[in-house]
Amino acid sequence: MKNLSKIVVSLLSATAFATPALADDDKIIVGFATAESGFMQAYDKPAQDAAMIRIKEINDAGGLLGKQIEVVNADTKTDRAEGAKAGLSVIDAGADMVVVSCDYDFGAPAALAAEGAGLPSFFLCAESIKAGIQGVGPNSFSASVLAAVQGATMAEWAYNKKNARNFYRLLDTWTEYNKGICDGFDWMLPRLEGAALVGEDTFKNEDASIAAQITRIKSLPQEPDAIMLCTMMPGAVSAIKQIRAAGINSMILNGSGVDGSYWLSAIPDLSNFYVPVQGSIYGDDPNPDVTAFNAKYKETTGGDPSSQYVYPGYVMIDVWAKAVERAGTTETSAVVAELEKMKDEPTLFGPRSFSAELHHQNSADYRIIDIEGGKPAVVDSWKISEPIPVADLMK
Amino acid sequence: MSVARRTISTPVILALLLIALALMAVFSGSRPFNQTIIDIFLRVILVVGLYIFIGNSGVISFGHAGFTCLGGYAAAWLTIPPMMKQTLLPGLPDWLMNLQLPFWAGAIFAAVWAALWAAVFGKILMRLSGIAASIATFAMLAMINTIYSNWESVTAATSSVVGIPIVRSIWPYLIAAILAVFVAWAHSISRAGLALRAARDEPTAAAASGIDAPKERLVAFIISGAVMGMGGALFAHSIGVVTPDTFYLTLTFITLSMLVVGGMGSLSGAVLGVVILSGLIQGLRWLEAGVSIGTTTFAIPNGLQEITLGIVMILILARRPSGIMANSELNWTRSRSEDPGV
Repeated sequence: MKNLSKIVVSLLSATAFATPALADDDKIIVGFATAESGFMQAYDKPAQDAAMIRIKEINDAGGLLGKQIEVVNADTKTDRAEGAKAGLSVIDAGADMVVVSCDYDFGAPAALAAEGAGLPSFFLCAESIKAGIQGVGPNSFSASVLAAVQGATMAEWAYNKKNARNFYRLLDTWTEYNKGICDGFDWMLPRLEGAALVGEDTFKNEDASIAAQITRIKSLPQEPDAIMLCTMMPGAVSAIKQIRAAGINSMILNGSGVDGSYWLSAIPDLSNFYVPVQGSIYGDDPNPDVTAFNAKYKETTGGDPSSQYVYPGYVMIDVWAKAVERAGTTETSAVVAELEKMKDEPTLFGPRSFSAELHHQNSADYRIIDIEGGKPAVVDSWKISEPIPVADLMK
Repeated sequence: MSVARRTISTPVILALLLIALALMAVFSGSRPFNQTIIDIFLRVILVVGLYIFIGNSGVISFGHAGFTCLGGYAAAWLTIPPMMKQTLLPGLPDWLMNLQLPFWAGAIFAAVWAALWAAVFGKILMRLSGIAASIATFAMLAMINTIYSNWESVTAATSSVVGIPIVRSIWPYLIAAILAVFVAWAHSISRAGLALRAARDEPTAAAASGIDAPKERLVAFIISGAVMGMGGALFAHSIGVVTPDTFYLTLTFITLSMLVVGGMGSLSGAVLGVVILSGLIQGLRWLEAGVSIGTTTFAIPNGLQEITLGIVMILILARRPSGIMANSELNWTRSRSEDPGV
């Protein structure tokens, strides 16, 4: 019993820390329920830094609706149960909008908490259709572009600009994101006259060897024009290396997940390799504002953006702040209604649209990065000829 | 005095402790704190579920997170609105597709479903004892996880299953945790529980007295499977999302270590292990987030929580190798307690 009373006393004293803060009327609060530790931190932190840059710009320019934007944080620890708590913490701290983790799986508990409290939520850079109305509720949005758009963009671009006709589809079944890229590719391919799928295969991200898959590509009567590779880090590097080592020189098309130069030293002289990005981190974006942003990012954080996944954080605050400005309030239904009115709303990283049935981008203006001799550079821009219909995305 | 009257004080004390925690959450009025206490109750359910089997049989099971998985997905199948199930889980049979139960009914069926599978697996596995049984339960966990991570049309494979109604009220979790404690207590003083403990401590003598150890182990396995299944269902309702990897190694090891720190052979140990370790984790997280003392904010580096937790667990086990409570129980009279005092 002695132990018991000690425990109760210590727990009671602990609750003293947990008194909730009250919402304040002369400021607007953005709550970040994101990962500050664990593996998701590598994805959340850069996008959050970009969001902070936009918040600072708005505050320096006089604030939003004449009020300063304040930020509250809670760490999800890359854990789902902690994510729900982090969401509730920032809501208790008076958040007017809740920002959640990059990945749907890890962001959903906090987004569901926001939805339950009737607040708008934004996924930092989730690319599954579930990150929004379909998997959370009517007040949830994602700041990035659907994975399917990336697959569709690469297929259509390679068909039109590189004259690719014979495609091979290689899917890593590890994540929803990978499947999304290939789903977009599958949707686009029948729309390209004369394009054919000469073969398809799957592997798993953790597979040490994809020799069997490579053998099947090698035994085709002729090398395919393009391989649609739907995968992500860390397994992507090993798969690409094995494909090239086997002497397959077809162009390789990817999703945005392999953007960044951090892994290129593992495959020296990689060529004929294409990645869609929302903006170039390599200093050669056709839009000088993107390069200016990169410089600003470096000034603020001390490092260059590591991949294009920095940008959605900036876009997120940008579109949300515009919606708040137009609505004249942070009240959820008014802000959501303004967001849903956005049609090709210009942002630093291309136009953005939301509608009452889709809180995500089913079309986007992508830059095409070409890696030649291990050096990435922008070679083109491409926007798919028609947006992917929501019904096809839900399959 | 009957065994029940002699020992009833243990579950009553534990229930009072849990009620005290629930009242703290209600009076604090803080939503994250409320969620923290819900988390503690869920862990109490799971660790007590583990105790029912491990504590009484002496066989360490690595497979019980599998029953939590069965329970969590059963809750998802039974409580998600049919509209959402059609797109998310198209492979469900029609009767299940069109069914939508309230969460408490879902939790009851989840417990029955987990118990059913515990009976199927247990019938085979419980003929083993010692380390062989432990390894076999681990294989069972891997099997369940592999099936749930790959059966696309029924479990959505590795994708999150969403749409599970979220229950943020603390009372259902409190009731379930108290229920788990009383079930564990009732089993441990029942004929089956006493026979199983006899077989754990003196297998030869127990066998000579006519105790069928595999049968008694099976009974405990099924009851603990049901409790774990109920815990899994409530876990699903606490955050509204289930994925197979939530119910895998991390959950297995955190619940096992809470049981070991509390004391494997003690129901009080199971509950206190959870409460003490969870309290410690929470305290360290507050410190990580930063605590204002006067005008300065004091914060410890991120990640120190995990390290400190590890060190504390090592210290507890070095000082008290059989856990905080060892084999004794909290009791009004401290009669059976050999408590050397902490």
